[in-house]
Amino acid sequence: MQSYWFGDVDENGCTPAPPEMSFLVARLESLRTVQERFIPFTWDPAGISGLCWTRAEYIARLRNLCFFLAELGIAQNYEARDAELLQMIRTLDELDDMVNNLTERTVEWYRVKNPDFSRKYLHLSRNRLMKLMKKDEGPAFRQIIEELERIWAVREAVTAEISSRAETVMPNCSALLGGLVASRLVSSAGGLGVLARLPGSSIQVLGSRTALYSHIRGGTPPPKHGIIFQHRRVHNATKATRGRVARVLAAKLAIAARIDYYRQERDAAFIAEAQSAIDSAGDLR
Amino acid sequence: MIWIGKTLVSHGEGGVYGEKLLGEYRIWDPHRSKFAALYYLGSAPELAHDMRVLYLGAANGTTVSHVADYVECVYAIEMAPRPMQDLLAVARRRDNIIPIMADARRVESFAFLLETVDLIYQDIAQPDQVAIAIRNSVFLRSGGVMIIVLKTRSISVAEDPRVILRRAEGELADAGFCISRSVWLDPYHQDHAVLICSRGPE
Repeated sequence: MQSYWFGDVDENGCTPAPPEMSFLVARLESLRTVQERFIPFTWDPAGISGLCWTRAEYIARLRNLCFFLAELGIAQNYEARDAELLQMIRTLDELDDMVNNLTERTVEWYRVKNPDFSRKYLHLSRNRLMKLMKKDEGPAFRQIIEELERIWAVREAVTAEISSRAETVMPNCSALLGGLVASRLVSSAGGLGVLARLPGSSIQVLGSRTALYSHIRGGTPPPKHGIIFQHRRVHNATKATRGRVARVLAAKLAIAARIDYYRQERDAAFIAEAQSAIDSAGDLR
Repeated sequence: MIWIGKTLVSHGEGGVYGEKLLGEYRIWDPHRSKFAALYYLGSAPELAHDMRVLYLGAANGTTVSHVADYVECVYAIEMAPRPMQDLLAVARRRDNIIPIMADARRVESFAFLLETVDLIYQDIAQPDQVAIAIRNSVFLRSGGVMIIVLKTRSISVAEDPRVILRRAEGELADAGFCISRSVWLDPYHQDHAVLICSRGPE
């Protein structure tokens, strides 16, 4: 006997499945696992015995079912806990690009208006730079500066929301890496589920695409770290220990991602153990 | 295939992805679609109005829409939710596209929805894409044709594309396929080879 979406077919003909959508979907769920020695269905010009469907009717019914299944699949996929986090972190990256580009351009503009202005030796922070440029008289220029400040406020709000959401979606990764960087890692991997299946060595170099490929292709030295460099324990480590810290951190993150994805709870004992392992990796031996 | 002068077109409702129209015909751009490039290079089998096609890696449904203009029905397999949303929108307006959201690797998860087909077209970016194609060849009727767009850069960035092509040919031959042509899609697409094969005598 062979089972297809519309029913079971054996030498006596076809036993149709009940046509209601809910029955069909439940039936397909059970079909997914059986089916050994599968013979694909072949349309007979005379139709399917036991069902009096024309070809057009067959296609129409099948399409109906497939649309239902696909819409269900899409909805389920977007319901995943990390789907929105991914969009948030990518939006934040866009915002950062926007702010940086616009700031650079307005500073250039400001320099033309004020020939004696230079950023050298001023140690101008973002805020002080903005305050300085705000004193300018051009109305359009002032408007841009105000707009930049508003975008910056939005950026801060998005950052705060990402951090707090990361705390709930992946408490263990966030504890090791901070919510923001952990989210970046998930975004680069393509989802928490993907990250949970990656080995530590891959997590270590996530986000260092250029360096990694030039290593594979051209034999340049391999990258020591990708996104995890943004974490203070990696970039604050001395040059001699940085690679080791990155490696230990990545290995612990691989475990943390698996706890986050499969067990979905904060494991305080694991976090404490991992933190001390990462800290001791930074000690010069 | 329908050619107007030297331009490949298909006959169907326009406006799927902003494609240009020639009268009531839709221009099928070889620079966008690898399938179209294959016709420009003169090496793809003709599509006929009674054909049933299995399309693996349907993506946003742009090429699928052109194929659907020519054939009886297209089973379009796509795994990712984002392109699937676009594919559904295309399929809603073309009643011979059957959109299936499934991983082409896991044939058992969608096999019961399919039927035997005359043509399998595969355009997926996976390192094991040849193995995936072989697994899906159960749906190919005897004498049917399988077209594989080999994305050499997705299989390995480090290896020479020609080596990858030769290995793919070997894998297909081992699985009992007879390769009738293999072509590079230059100048339309870089590092993409196309293998056209059919099941050899058992």
